[in-house]
Amino acid sequence: MKRVVVDPITRIEGHLRVEIKVDEASGKVEDALSSGTAWRGLELVMHDRDPRDGWAYIQRICGVCTTAHALGSLRAVEDALGITIPKNANYIRNIMAATQTVQDHLIHFYHLHALDWVSPVEALAADPAAAAALQNTILNTYQLPFEGPAGIDTQAFPKSFPAATPKYFKVIQDKVKKIVDSGQLGIFAAQWWDHPDYKLLPPEVHLLAVAHYLEMLDKQREIVTPHVIFGGKNPHPMYCVGGMPCSISLDDMNAPINTERLAVVDRAVNTSIDLVKYYYLPDLLAIGHIYVQKGYVDGGGMAKERVLSFGDYPDEPCSGTTNGDYFKNLLIRSHGVVEDFGKGLNAAKFTELKGEELSDPAVFTEGVEHAWYEYPEADGKSLHPWEGVTKPKYTGPKEGTKTEWKTLDEEGKYSWLKTPLWRGKMCEVGPLAQYIIVYTKVKKGVIAEPNWAEKFIVDQIEAVSKLLNLPPEVWMTTMVGRTAVRGLAAQLNAYINKYYYNKLIENIKTGDTKVADSSKWEPSTWPKEAKGVGLYDAPRGALSHWVHIKNGKIFNYQAIVPTTWNACPRDSKAGHGAYEKAMMDTKVKVADKPLEILKVVRSFDPCMACATHMYNAEGKRIKVVTTDPYLGTLQE
Amino acid sequence: MDKLESMWEVYLKKGLSRRSFIKGCVALTTMMGLSTNMLAEVVAAAEKNSLPVVIWLHGHECTGCDESFLRSGTPLASDVVLNTIALEYSHALSASSGEPFEHHLQEIMKTYNGKYILAVEGAVATAENGIYCMSGGRTFTSLLQEVAKGAAAIIEYGSCATGGGIQAAKPNPTGSVGVSYIVGNKPIVKVPGCPPIPEVMTGVIMHYALFGKLPPLDSEGRPKQFYGNRIHDTCYRRPFFDSGKFAEKFDDAGSKAGWCLYKLGCRGPETYNSCGNLRWWNGLSYPIQSGAPCIGCSNDHFWDDAPFSTRMPEYGPLGDVDKIGAIAAGLTAAGVAAHGAMSVVQKKKRQAAEAKADESKTDGKKVD
Repeated sequence: MKRVVVDPITRIEGHLRVEIKVDEASGKVEDALSSGTAWRGLELVMHDRDPRDGWAYIQRICGVCTTAHALGSLRAVEDALGITIPKNANYIRNIMAATQTVQDHLIHFYHLHALDWVSPVEALAADPAAAAALQNTILNTYQLPFEGPAGIDTQAFPKSFPAATPKYFKVIQDKVKKIVDSGQLGIFAAQWWDHPDYKLLPPEVHLLAVAHYLEMLDKQREIVTPHVIFGGKNPHPMYCVGGMPCSISLDDMNAPINTERLAVVDRAVNTSIDLVKYYYLPDLLAIGHIYVQKGYVDGGGMAKERVLSFGDYPDEPCSGTTNGDYFKNLLIRSHGVVEDFGKGLNAAKFTELKGEELSDPAVFTEGVEHAWYEYPEADGKSLHPWEGVTKPKYTGPKEGTKTEWKTLDEEGKYSWLKTPLWRGKMCEVGPLAQYIIVYTKVKKGVIAEPNWAEKFIVDQIEAVSKLLNLPPEVWMTTMVGRTAVRGLAAQLNAYINKYYYNKLIENIKTGDTKVADSSKWEPSTWPKEAKGVGLYDAPRGALSHWVHIKNGKIFNYQAIVPTTWNACPRDSKAGHGAYEKAMMDTKVKVADKPLEILKVVRSFDPCMACATHMYNAEGKRIKVVTTDPYLGTLQE
Repeated sequence: MDKLESMWEVYLKKGLSRRSFIKGCVALTTMMGLSTNMLAEVVAAAEKNSLPVVIWLHGHECTGCDESFLRSGTPLASDVVLNTIALEYSHALSASSGEPFEHHLQEIMKTYNGKYILAVEGAVATAENGIYCMSGGRTFTSLLQEVAKGAAAIIEYGSCATGGGIQAAKPNPTGSVGVSYIVGNKPIVKVPGCPPIPEVMTGVIMHYALFGKLPPLDSEGRPKQFYGNRIHDTCYRRPFFDSGKFAEKFDDAGSKAGWCLYKLGCRGPETYNSCGNLRWWNGLSYPIQSGAPCIGCSNDHFWDDAPFSTRMPEYGPLGDVDKIGAIAAGLTAAGVAAHGAMSVVQKKKRQAAEAKADESKTDGKKVD
């Protein structure tokens, strides 16, 4: 048995460490530990702030899934204060969210995840002519011919289309060769390029994927422009409580939004559809297909047992979350939990999530048994987000010192992430969870009349099942499945983006240009005390923000984010979290080069800054002691 | 700063033999995960001049600065990362992880000692000896100090690196500070913003690549070309400020007409950044153009200069913005004085404008 540590894990957001115990002979992972190794304390920073500013602060949790936390916060504060945003603001926020989702998934696949699958070194062995032929084959074979509802169609022909000529691939290959020959591999340096998994794909696939890696490095920026139009910048676009700050006027070029500005958004939406259709999905399905054909159907773990989603895209403005209105009005009605999907559709069990359950201390809780915090009065009991207590209790590693670790202590505390639970149980969240839930609900008739988006999801799943010749419960609940479904979600979200763009145009056409409701802007119009929840199925999965407003200020702020659900430390009753389970469900070929472990962890698209700042701001202050003479003022 | 020397030049300078140079190349070949039959190519490459080596470290951050860097339109991200610099260590983009990645960092630091550029994104969490930010099993504070030692220059990317950023906002639970608090004796370029504008981030690197030296800096260490102007002075809505036309609340007639956002709390008058002239996405927009008041994200400690909806004179470390000039005159730091560049003429003009705006309001109530 060998204990292998990987720290830092790159090509993710933030600071993540994993440790595995692997049997070198069989490649079986006997135990796995996932640790968030940094803690920023942003909820403490939220204490006493103006709730109207909350979105700006908490958006800084993460700049990769930028906007996700701003939306979560706005929804929570508006739920607490009873604010219903105007139609245009709802459509614009949905465009912001869909834009983010497509861009985030695309950049994850090409720039964060791809180098687990493809290698520039392997690309050198490719025949450029064969790569061009392969590009043609892939474009013909790996298409999912689904589209969103008909609407405004401004694009004459696709403006982004992959080159399939030998010369193109030769140029790219020459560039890669030049980088390798230069001795300065830069971002490609020091990887385990000799790992046997890099031999799974033919050299031409490597060349094609490396070429698209480079192209997408420049293209991804073009699909984010809706954030720059509606929010002024990206990352971290601007919002306002009550709607959007970007006023619409069709009379004035000085106005934030007019016809020319909307045309920029239209262009970006069309580009995002093309990039997913002609690059992302074909590349993803081709690579995934080869992996599945070669028997790579592991890495599922928790996905087989329990998945959670909140559902998303309020189709029209909703009056609140805790009153249940959010759930009545969703484009993707995935709110709830599916258990045992891995055993097949018949065995799968769906439980709906209801508005009133959000305030029920038996439904959502967080525990700290293996997290570097303590609950002095609760004695190991998990607590509801409203009741959470924060008292850091850093215990250091099993071996090493508090500032220099050798191995962490899986028997004790080992992570800055708390352990979120649904009815005392662990869940996996993410696009895969959302897809499993919609598929189960539709197939079991819980959703009797699927809308276009839900039908889209079922069609996609069935098409991929046919392509892979495997039932959904087999291919979806794997590492490949998790990555593949993210690509399917990108396709869906590109059309969702167009759908809400159409709705925005149609609504402006009626003469309605309102984007913000300021009737409850002044704190004098607020109740003395109010609590609210903001839900959002972010690119990485189920996100919830919980705000407690008292006397016009934020009294308590809590966010339970997707990566906390997935990357959390274990619990003696609930077992392992999703990362740990997935790692234990993955075979490792070379113990000290655990590429498969990195691949399965990255299939979740880790976002550690999101996960590791979580704790309650119940007025507790952390003692700050420094030894640096420059920092004397920080001592308390 | 000197032009980067090739590895062979370094060896020559140190009086090391050709044999030890080849040995170094063997190590380099292995380190890159290449088979040793590629040694000849590596030797040839190492004898040539190389791209500037950049080591990019992450402290307490959100990766928004990486994302912004990648959004650069001119230069494009691929051209920067593959042709302008050798980005040898980056948590966001590097292929490698774990032990070989950390080993690579050590090798790069040795090979390019005194020559590499250190880019830092994120704050330094100093509380409890740095245990709130661990990477590779060690504290970020110790890592930063080690890597900084051999750096030719340090670029602090984003307001977290320049001043501690969001995690340093009250009550600063992790004792977060800017990079310069714990490293020194190096040329340091400060690139504040949350995040900085993409082209400002790549512009600093591009300047170095094109002109072989760091860009000219102001007295606070910021590149003059990007932080030399107040947003207020470069804002396309400035004429409305001067003529007293203000949006009074979100989405009112003034908002729709694109009038000045000063009364909604805009920090443009105290913020030095390129939002007004360069704008985001090569001129596409910036927060004010999209109707959102500037929150002053390139200012030190802007997170504690809140609520953001409060108009400027009522908050902030410098107090009443109309008196900024007088206060700044009493401070020794020349850079701070630059912040107080608002002239008396300007001040009077604005007071007049505000008085006019207040009069023009129908409800007669003071809107702050």
